[in-house]
Amino acid sequence: MLAIQLAITGLQTGALYALTAVGFSLIFGSTRIFHFAHGATFVIAAYFFYAAFGAGWGLIPGILASALGAVAFGLVLDRLVYVPIQRHEGSFFTVFVASFGVGIAVQNVIGMIFGRGFVTVNTSLSRSVELVPGVYVSPLAWIAIACAAVFLAALQFFMRRTHTGMALRALSDNPELVRTFGLNPRRIQAAAFAIGSVIVVPAAIITSATTGLNPAIGHHVMLISLAATIVGGIGSISGTMLAGVLLGLAESLALLVVDSQWTEAVTFGILFAFIIIRPSGLLGRAAAH
Amino acid sequence: MEAYIFNLVNLIAIYSILAVTLNFIMGYAGIYSLAHAVFFGLGAYSSAWVAQHVSPSIFVSYPAAMVAAGAVSLLLALPALRVRGEYFVAASLGLQVLSVTIFSEWKSFTGGIGGVLAIPPVDILGLEVFRPAQFAVLSVIVLVVVLLVINALVHSSFGRNLRAIRDSESAAASFGKNVPMIKTISVVISAALAAVAGALYASYLSFINVESFTLDTSVLVMAMVIIGGTGTVAGPIVGAALLLLLPSVISYFDFLPRTEIGSLQQIIYGLGMTLLMIFRPGGIVGRRSGT
Repeated sequence: MLAIQLAITGLQTGALYALTAVGFSLIFGSTRIFHFAHGATFVIAAYFFYAAFGAGWGLIPGILASALGAVAFGLVLDRLVYVPIQRHEGSFFTVFVASFGVGIAVQNVIGMIFGRGFVTVNTSLSRSVELVPGVYVSPLAWIAIACAAVFLAALQFFMRRTHTGMALRALSDNPELVRTFGLNPRRIQAAAFAIGSVIVVPAAIITSATTGLNPAIGHHVMLISLAATIVGGIGSISGTMLAGVLLGLAESLALLVVDSQWTEAVTFGILFAFIIIRPSGLLGRAAAH
Repeated sequence: MEAYIFNLVNLIAIYSILAVTLNFIMGYAGIYSLAHAVFFGLGAYSSAWVAQHVSPSIFVSYPAAMVAAGAVSLLLALPALRVRGEYFVAASLGLQVLSVTIFSEWKSFTGGIGGVLAIPPVDILGLEVFRPAQFAVLSVIVLVVVLLVINALVHSSFGRNLRAIRDSESAAASFGKNVPMIKTISVVISAALAAVAGALYASYLSFINVESFTLDTSVLVMAMVIIGGTGTVAGPIVGAALLLLLPSVISYFDFLPRTEIGSLQQIIYGLGMTLLMIFRPGGIVGRRSGT
């Protein structure tokens, strides 16, 4: 019974991980920008929803506020930080440090406004129901899994069937060729940031109702996104989704063997092993050099 | 007031050692580690353990700390040999997160969350050094020694090899340089010297816990290196002094809320990092634009 319980919890966590990580994976895969502030996007989306919902705006306006906040943050960061850096050189490390700096600032600004403690959005949906004897599942778990299925399928469809999606994949393969075909790489890059940012919204909102939020959660989100992207294979969106779900499951099922304070260590043990043994990840193409 | 200033001198010296040693692998070998606080912590815990159980002599506890950190740093050298760039950042992050869990769970060695209490003051040939003023002399001397060691290394053929590897690993290898060996040695040296900072920290405060060795510390040290200037001699020390003086400067302005000093410090250095990367990637001391 415990194993089933943990597997369902793991699926819920994994669904949220996949939804979070896929945005980072999309941005990093297509633009090669090491968008470390992706965690900050998550924090902004979550706290915008928390503030709007808490102010009694209702669910839909709350979701809209959250999406607007996330997309605006992604686009502004791209325009004001990444594009200027790419203009003069744009080594991996310069971009990483700039992005990291923004992440630190956002975490502390949110902390000053909303406090550094945990906050939760109260909803009856997080109340667990006994499914079969000994297995408790809250409606939010199903919502999380359904959201992941719908949004990830939509993203796959978008990447394969629309012009923007194809342009994004083209950009990851060969930016020069994109320019030759008369497309504007900068506009495609902005599209990557808009989509990569907006896709964290469902995970941010569900997390605000399940485990709750604190300003430092951005770090955790970023670590998970990075782990899922690398374990899945950089440049492979389906790989990231798969890795996100697997990491969630592994964290949860690890509780059968170890205490809960080791869950994060499990994720990073897996990441560490992949980097050393198989840097190209589950579904990755190229090597790490 | 005097004690306050000497306390600041001690902290700046200790963090300068961390920044200088991180700069050694970051600026000269291109190994961007987010796990430097691990070796700081290892140095602190091992020297505390040795001081309590074996001998508080500086000639026993400090070398023990260096050996412990140097040995564990092979764990960091392993991914450094295999991968570069974002992969290595991820691996070092993983090591940092794992280590914090181990630091807070391995109670017999680290005291868990509660930490290690009553660490005896360091003993130098029978002299117990614990007053901030006395300790400031010790910590500055250690900083100077570390600087001299690093400087000698950077200007030796070893340092040239490191820079060659940073700029092009395959070119260095094709000139017959033993790239894995050089990288491993640089990581071990950096970690062992960072452990000295940990040993100083433990014997100075006589109390340590895991809070001082988290990702936040690694990030702070990295910010010091970057803001000061990666790959420069003076940069890391300038960065360390600036970031540690920041809280005092902020508290000087009365209109800013006292409770938010920590947050304001982090916001300032976060935005500082971002702005520097946009306008002056070489840091405050650095001249070249970017490395």
